[in-house]
Amino acid sequence: MISLLIFMPFLALLILNIPFKDITKKDAFWAVLALSALQAGISLFPNASFWDSASDVIGNFFKLNLAIDSLSIVLLFCIGTVTFITALVAKHFITDQKRLFNFTSLLLVILAGMNGIVMTRDIFSLYVFIEIAAIASFILIAMNKDIDAIEGAFKYLILSAIATTMMLSSIALILLMVGDTDLSVISYAMKTSERAPIIMAAIGLFICGLFIKGGLVPFHGWLPDAYSSASAPASVLLAGIVTKTVGIYTLMRIMISAFGFDNTVKTILMLVGTVSIVFGALAAIGQADFKRMLAYSSISQVGYIVLGLGCGTGLAIAGAAFHLFNHAMFKSLLFVNSASVELETKTRDMNKMTGFGQKMPVAAFTSAVATLSASGIPPLAGFWSKLIIVMALWAAGHYAYAAIAVLASVITLAYFLSMQRRVFFGKLSGELKDIRETAGGLVLSASILAAITIGAGVFFPFMLNVFILPIANMIGR
Amino acid sequence: MTPQSLDVFCFFCPFVLVLFIIGLYCVIVTTNLIRALIGIEILIKAVTLLLIVAGYITGHVALAQSLVITLVVIEVVFMVVAVGVVLGAYQHYNSLDAGNLRKLKG
Repeated sequence: MISLLIFMPFLALLILNIPFKDITKKDAFWAVLALSALQAGISLFPNASFWDSASDVIGNFFKLNLAIDSLSIVLLFCIGTVTFITALVAKHFITDQKRLFNFTSLLLVILAGMNGIVMTRDIFSLYVFIEIAAIASFILIAMNKDIDAIEGAFKYLILSAIATTMMLSSIALILLMVGDTDLSVISYAMKTSERAPIIMAAIGLFICGLFIKGGLVPFHGWLPDAYSSASAPASVLLAGIVTKTVGIYTLMRIMISAFGFDNTVKTILMLVGTVSIVFGALAAIGQADFKRMLAYSSISQVGYIVLGLGCGTGLAIAGAAFHLFNHAMFKSLLFVNSASVELETKTRDMNKMTGFGQKMPVAAFTSAVATLSASGIPPLAGFWSKLIIVMALWAAGHYAYAAIAVLASVITLAYFLSMQRRVFFGKLSGELKDIRETAGGLVLSASILAAITIGAGVFFPFMLNVFILPIANMIGR
Repeated sequence: MTPQSLDVFCFFCPFVLVLFIIGLYCVIVTTNLIRALIGIEILIKAVTLLLIVAGYITGHVALAQSLVITLVVIEVVFMVVAVGVVLGAYQHYNSLDAGNLRKLKG
């Protein structure tokens, strides 16, 4: 019954928006919490009969062409968890009932859109679901209505529209050459026929569009603006999962299930990944704004995922998927921490912050966990995923890329430790003496994400057998 | 692709390309927020034409029609949200100049 993951959020949205019933307005928040928790819970059991697409009555009736593999399940878990966390954060940040209702309704739309992206096996439906998620996220960014938010939303909107026209023209060219939009048909045609220039143009356009959507260098211009100008809960969602699903997961899916890896595309992916790693890390060092620094660090971490994907072997792609999972966890955790700091101090300027660790022990500890995981310190989860990617690169003979990936880890450690020292360590300054740990929801969400980050690292053998090796086996070699 | 269908494609190709170039030029050059949106509309029109031509040449007319109708619906939703954002900018500055939106630096 996998189509329920798409239909339930839409159904909940319809019921909650029936006019003349004020009673249902408060329930939107609980609906999001329940749906996302259910989704995260059920994706912990990849062998449950729920995932069997033959029993999917609604999906087969509408001929939705949905399917699940081990890569999709990892993503569904991340989507469920991050949406859950975002709802918790939003409850704290948005005090006005009506605005909270609007926010949670949009969360339902994004949830359905992302689930659709992850499960669909049709290149045009993929575009439709990408647009659903993207349009809802424009509104989420611009919701504050202050001028920064509007500027960030407008930049994202224009670049996103250009990206979708690129992807659509690629779909049209594929339709012209292959005659179908089903991913398996496209994959078969790519393997059997020789690569005509039109096909290469189609692949190039699609990948370029996804680079814009995922915010990779040199198309990263919109990303720091959109992340830093959005409200705190919206930036948790955007940085944690939306751009990763819309840009990076789609890139992985389209390369694995449709286009296949040839040497030109591999080289382009690895080059773009490496440039993103280095540029993002170097730009993050110089930032004074908490959220902008996290945004640049996001570009850098996404570079690792694309580098792993570009290597093209089963192990490397499994490592990239694991890093995608880790990134969703530790980056949302860092954005939750920046949210609680922003809630207490009303500023995002790191130069004005010092010594918050004395008054906010949970935020200080969880952000230390997240930064260490992001820089690849054992035994946290980020270490294992980076290790797998570097090992796979080394095994495939890409020594230079592997070396750059390891060295950039050091820069990551540098900017994160500098952030940690400036914000949480040291002495409290006079005017901010009366800050305190923020209330329940934010502490709870930070603890959940930190527990997942530590757990996935400590119980790595379990993760390896249940989630990573199936992905590597699925791709082969 | 047969040579005959290649001829059809080559006949439509210049129109698609011209629409693309007009749209991109409009988005890049203009300093007016509404005109940038119009440029994007022209870009999407180019893609719509390309989709229809692709469906016509390969004989999948019904598939291409359903794709184009879906595309038109999504485009309308996109434009409503985009104009909403532009209106927000207009309420702040009382002008549609894109030069106002240069506070954040990439």
